[in-house]
Amino acid sequence: MTTFVESTVRFPYKRSLGSVIGYFMTALTDRRIVGIRNGDRVLVPPLEWDPATAEQLNPDFVDVGPAGTVRSWTWVAAPSGQHPLDHPFAFALIELDGASTTLLHAVDAGDISAMETGLRVAPRWRAQRVGHLTDIEAFVPGEEPVTPEDDAGPAAEPVTMMNYDASISYTTPVPETQLVFGKAFAEGRLVGLECPNCHRVYTGLQQACPVCAIPLNGTHEVELPQTGTLTTFTIITPVQYPGQTETEPFARVHVLTDDIDAVLAYQPVVDFPNADVHPGVRVKAVWTTDADGKQELAGWTPTGEPDVDDPSIVNRIF
Amino acid sequence: MEPVAIVGWALTPMVRRTDKSEARLLFDVVTGATEDAGITRADVDFSCAGSCDYVAGQAFSFVQNIDAVGAWPPKRDSHVEMDGAWALYEAWVRLQLGDLDVAIAMGSGRSSTADPATIYPMEMDPYYLAPLGADAVSLAALQARVLLDAGLVTERDMAGVAARTRADAVGNPYAQVSGEYDVDALLKEDYVRAPLRKHDLSPITDGAAAVIIARGDKARELSDNPVWITGFAHSAEPHQPGVRDLRASTSTARAAKAAGADGHFDVAELQAAFTHEEPLLTAALGLGPDVAVNPSGGPLAANPVMATGLVRVIEAARQIRDRGKQRTLAHATSGPCLQQNLVCVLEGTK
Ligand SMILES: [Zn+2]
Repeated sequence: MTTFVESTVRFPYKRSLGSVIGYFMTALTDRRIVGIRNGDRVLVPPLEWDPATAEQLNPDFVDVGPAGTVRSWTWVAAPSGQHPLDHPFAFALIELDGASTTLLHAVDAGDISAMETGLRVAPRWRAQRVGHLTDIEAFVPGEEPVTPEDDAGPAAEPVTMMNYDASISYTTPVPETQLVFGKAFAEGRLVGLECPNCHRVYTGLQQACPVCAIPLNGTHEVELPQTGTLTTFTIITPVQYPGQTETEPFARVHVLTDDIDAVLAYQPVVDFPNADVHPGVRVKAVWTTDADGKQELAGWTPTGEPDVDDPSIVNRIF
Repeated sequence: MEPVAIVGWALTPMVRRTDKSEARLLFDVVTGATEDAGITRADVDFSCAGSCDYVAGQAFSFVQNIDAVGAWPPKRDSHVEMDGAWALYEAWVRLQLGDLDVAIAMGSGRSSTADPATIYPMEMDPYYLAPLGADAVSLAALQARVLLDAGLVTERDMAGVAARTRADAVGNPYAQVSGEYDVDALLKEDYVRAPLRKHDLSPITDGAAAVIIARGDKARELSDNPVWITGFAHSAEPHQPGVRDLRASTSTARAAKAAGADGHFDVAELQAAFTHEEPLLTAALGLGPDVAVNPSGGPLAANPVMATGLVRVIEAARQIRDRGKQRTLAHATSGPCLQQNLVCVLEGTK
């Protein structure tokens, strides 16, 4: 019976816009839609280069719309969390008046029966506009743009950056080798997987011996000692990104386990000041018990034994 | 141009959801393809894989996948965040340098990981498309309607493509969706994204594929019936679908011309992941009614994203090595509304 794990990954991007897209986004805050002149065509949304020749375009912007004509459409009956509306809507390619190309956006038409190619639509503006494509909440059937009573007005400064925050929920099978590591961990044990051919011991994500191309599984489990020698380390100065809980510089170390000769990579440390972390330090595993009685590896702490003075230590990465 | 031939390949079973990791799927096809070519992993000089971190849900997922190829003896490796067909293209280019003889190209995707409507916007233009959650099925539906409005295709034609490919897929052990279907019954189904119904879409598929290619004499040494790559090219159009004429696929026609694809083939395997794309591609490639299109069932029978294009190459090669055909075409695509297209011409040993 395969174990599947559910996880949600956030993708919070912050992007610079450049002079062309930035101009378009800034204009949105002023409830204007602009295109860029490309010969006798007007590209909407504006691009930095001629799509046919890749020549850089002059920043010759043209106001278009606000109304336009639907050139193609599809109906989204069950929107995803990333779609701009949370009720059924149409995606449409809209040729704004004065434009030579079409803009993809949502049409809030209420019902699929209201949609047809050639439909005239106009933007429904958000009250608070930040310079983002969704400053237009959606287009709506008709000729007249819709503006809320509490309109906050245009941005005070040109818009140069935009946020894009998506999240995706994944369902992923847990490889058998991961389960071997996880089960042992919960019992306060460290294990590795030993290749039956070359006898190398793996402690990471390997599901096969990458040297011998032999699949590994639970039958290859070997017990690892809980003492070892620090081979290399890094001190990480945290930057504040979503999910980052560290605030002070912290260490990650590689530990070469005794006897078995397997390296545990990127391990945390316990009661071990950053200034004292260096190759050759003898360390031991520190475990904590969680609310369910399961063991968790808190990290590695010095044993107090003398350093190992072996030049080959520093050459051990994995 | 160095003569390069396909000398072996392997596919995983194509299923709705596998319990295997991507690395393990690749392990299996690397083993299968090397056995098919009569070589070992040690004989492979260069490897290139196509996969997608957003599909895997894991940063640098391709690094783990290298374990499938084997790390010893050391070999040159590369990765494309594209379908494995582009990995094959890179491997083919690498062999053109003339100092390596054998390469493996792979593609892998576990599309079951998440809702495709949330994954694929991540690969779109981050300013104008991704913020709307512009998903691949919606964009395909917009192109389908353009074709319908222009009178280039009908919903009945599209259902006909679905019925024909599903019937063809009955004989394909790697098909996920197959069987006999009535066009009138298919047309009564609800829309998923109007004007696309479920049968107009490819299934969600987990799977992987690998292809071994070899240069000149090495190919002749390894295989009694090497499948020669006699033309290979790809071309891209602007990413924004709104600046393109969606009624045609100009980059497919351009790639076909560069690859020497003149329309005369026994079989064409096309990465038409939506029914309306088949007539569009057939027209761009100048394929006449005598060319058998997607006799394997094509992507509508199994769609392991990031391997689907490479599977087309395998199915086109199979027609030559195992079915006695002389000249076949494989097509792969990437990007919204057929933005980028790759054409590979295959010929048997005369
Ligand atoms: Zn081994």
